[in-house]
Amino acid sequence: MSTIMEQMPIVFQALNVGFVQTLKLFFVTLLGAFPLGLVIAFGSMSGFRPLRYLTRIFVWIIRGTPLMIQLLIIYYFPGLVLGKTIWGGGEDGRFLAAAVSFIVNYACYFSEIYRGGIQSVPKGQQEAGLVLGMTKSQIFFKVTLLQMIKRIVPPISNEIITLVKDTSLARIIALQEIIWAGQAFLKGSQGISGQIWPLFFTAVYYLVFSGILTLLLGWLERKLDYFK
Amino acid sequence: MKKKVLAAALSLALCFSMVACGSDSGKNEDNQDTTVEQADSAEASEETSSDESDLQYVQDKGTLIVGITDFEPMDYQDENGNWIGFDADMATAFAKSLGVDVEFVEIDWDNKVLELDAKSIDCVWNGMTLTDEVTSSMACSNAYCNNAQVAIVKKDVADQYQTVESLKDLSFAVEAGSAGEAEVNALGYNCTPVKAQADALMEVAAGTSDAAVIDSLMAAAMVGEGTGYEDLTYTASFNSEEYGVGFRKGSDLAEKLNTFFADSYKDGSMKTTAEKYGVQAALVEQ
Repeated sequence: MSTIMEQMPIVFQALNVGFVQTLKLFFVTLLGAFPLGLVIAFGSMSGFRPLRYLTRIFVWIIRGTPLMIQLLIIYYFPGLVLGKTIWGGGEDGRFLAAAVSFIVNYACYFSEIYRGGIQSVPKGQQEAGLVLGMTKSQIFFKVTLLQMIKRIVPPISNEIITLVKDTSLARIIALQEIIWAGQAFLKGSQGISGQIWPLFFTAVYYLVFSGILTLLLGWLERKLDYFK
Repeated sequence: MKKKVLAAALSLALCFSMVACGSDSGKNEDNQDTTVEQADSAEASEETSSDESDLQYVQDKGTLIVGITDFEPMDYQDENGNWIGFDADMATAFAKSLGVDVEFVEIDWDNKVLELDAKSIDCVWNGMTLTDEVTSSMACSNAYCNNAQVAIVKKDVADQYQTVESLKDLSFAVEAGSAGEAEVNALGYNCTPVKAQADALMEVAAGTSDAAVIDSLMAAAMVGEGTGYEDLTYTASFNSEEYGVGFRKGSDLAEKLNTFFADSYKDGSMKTTAEKYGVQAALVEQ
């Protein structure tokens, strides 16, 4: 039986491969969800009622159901109904389906945070902008946006840290992220079987990564501290 | 005013959710041909899907996607990350005989039927025990390998638990949905379902369960001297069972595979492959 020291290179290699998937999902989700969240936020604040209600109902459905179910539905439902999967059975298809689920899910959470941020900017500033003859989009990008960003950093940080760990849900559609990689050694993989420590060790990866993120987000918060 | 808007929004939301439910159940009824028109459209869609046989579908696509889990000695990776094992090698040979490429995809075992139906995989080929549940939800090939469910206990107490009868007061950990779970439940023994056979072993190793029930092929590879579980051993066997390959329900590929198994058993290539992975003793004559 090999010792833990001998297992380490193989295990870390596998965990690193899994963690790359985790990171990929994490960054792709953020890249997609940040802008999509803004679109949804505008929808939910729209003056056009049907759009506003539709958006809010959508947000309600997405926030009101578990991400795990959304993953299962988004990945399996098209194939079951259309008779042909739109994602493909390979790893790329699984990643794509996971990315879509995560982006939509997180965009809904972000949209509510954005909405709070936008609405917390005093209305007087918008009125002042209108008086000065600015267009609505000018007011948003030149007056509201930066103040909104400053205000939403703490709640968004919270979501970002949650996202780091939520990526592990993607294993339900067999996306081979780090927990999957760690769990493989329980059953047996690459000559190592019945080892629980690789699974437990994945926690260190999450911890280190969220530590780095916490520092980064703290730095961002301080950087934005030059105005009130 | 605000309250009114809120009330309107909420009631609208409620309506939507009801509409959603309503249309769902409506669709189900369609399939049971409630009206002539609906029946026609349902039939039409059925025809289009059965028009093309599963074999045709796979050949058009050019790849046979095989759903597996990492399961030595049936499907596992060599140092270069290629999938090998008795099942993997046979699947590769079968795909070759169909003139298509083979692609192995690791799946969550709980979702195997879902994966097949959603067409994200084309077959389940991973030392799958042919239980009633399996044969009723998939088109299965003939059995190609014998297996048994065996009890796993700690080595130091193994002497007391050599028969199935002697195990009756123990608490068991079994893989949810596995043949082992069915056996233990049939005997009425106290058991906890866990996610995988490996988790069941860990339960025993950690002392949270007294015993586990897993496949004998897996037990031979995973417990005892030279494995990760040196202080565990296997004792009584519960039943004997057989491994088969699962395809989508109604697929013509199962019949195709039976022919392939018969041919490769006759020309000895199946046996050669089995010897390579040490499972020749369990091979079933085709």
